[in-house]
Amino acid sequence: MKNQEEFQPKGTVAILVVFVITLIVLWGTIYLTLLQRGGTV
Amino acid sequence: MSTTSLHVHPYEKRWIIFSIVLLIVFTTAVAIAAFALGIQVPSPEQRVDPRTVAVDPNSPWSNPGLREIAPGRYEAYILAQTWQFQPREIRVPVGSRVTFYVTSKDVQHTFKIQDTNINMQIVPGQVSKLTVTFKKPGTYPFICSEYCGIGHAGMFGQIIVTP
Repeated sequence: MKNQEEFQPKGTVAILVVFVITLIVLWGTIYLTLLQRGGTV
Repeated sequence: MSTTSLHVHPYEKRWIIFSIVLLIVFTTAVAIAAFALGIQVPSPEQRVDPRTVAVDPNSPWSNPGLREIAPGRYEAYILAQTWQFQPREIRVPVGSRVTFYVTSKDVQHTFKIQDTNINMQIVPGQVSKLTVTFKKPGTYPFICSEYCGIGHAGMFGQIIVTP
């Protein structure tokens, strides 16, 4: 039980970090494009 | 009387904090875009009768096209129908601020101008309105991106922004 508590899921965390960074880059790019195209009112 | 505390794993705790931060970031980003920079989604401007909107002499869509309302400011009345926009071409000088009033006389369409934030659902009986300032000269194609029948692929036009 103690071994399970100390288990560090490094692979899962690494995949998660890559996934989150990818989302941030994609979302940020689209958001900057939106801002660059200007207002609509 | 005993008290119990909720056990939250450190990874779960970090993920909850990250999710809350994300919500704050997204809400702030949307608020800045909407209120500080004026990027709005179209709202129904007015109601019209799709059966008469193109023929009623009091309707601006009986003679669709561009009207200059002030120097550098225009109103564009666009009529969408299967399978064309009227007019198909608009010419304005660079720096023009154009407000689009678009409606449909038959089925549902969309009006999307490339390289701008104009992308409106065009519903029969409803007028959709958005404004854009054309800051760069060039050709801005506009298309219907809602499948509206066999001739859908030919439903397009262009805005020519002259230097």
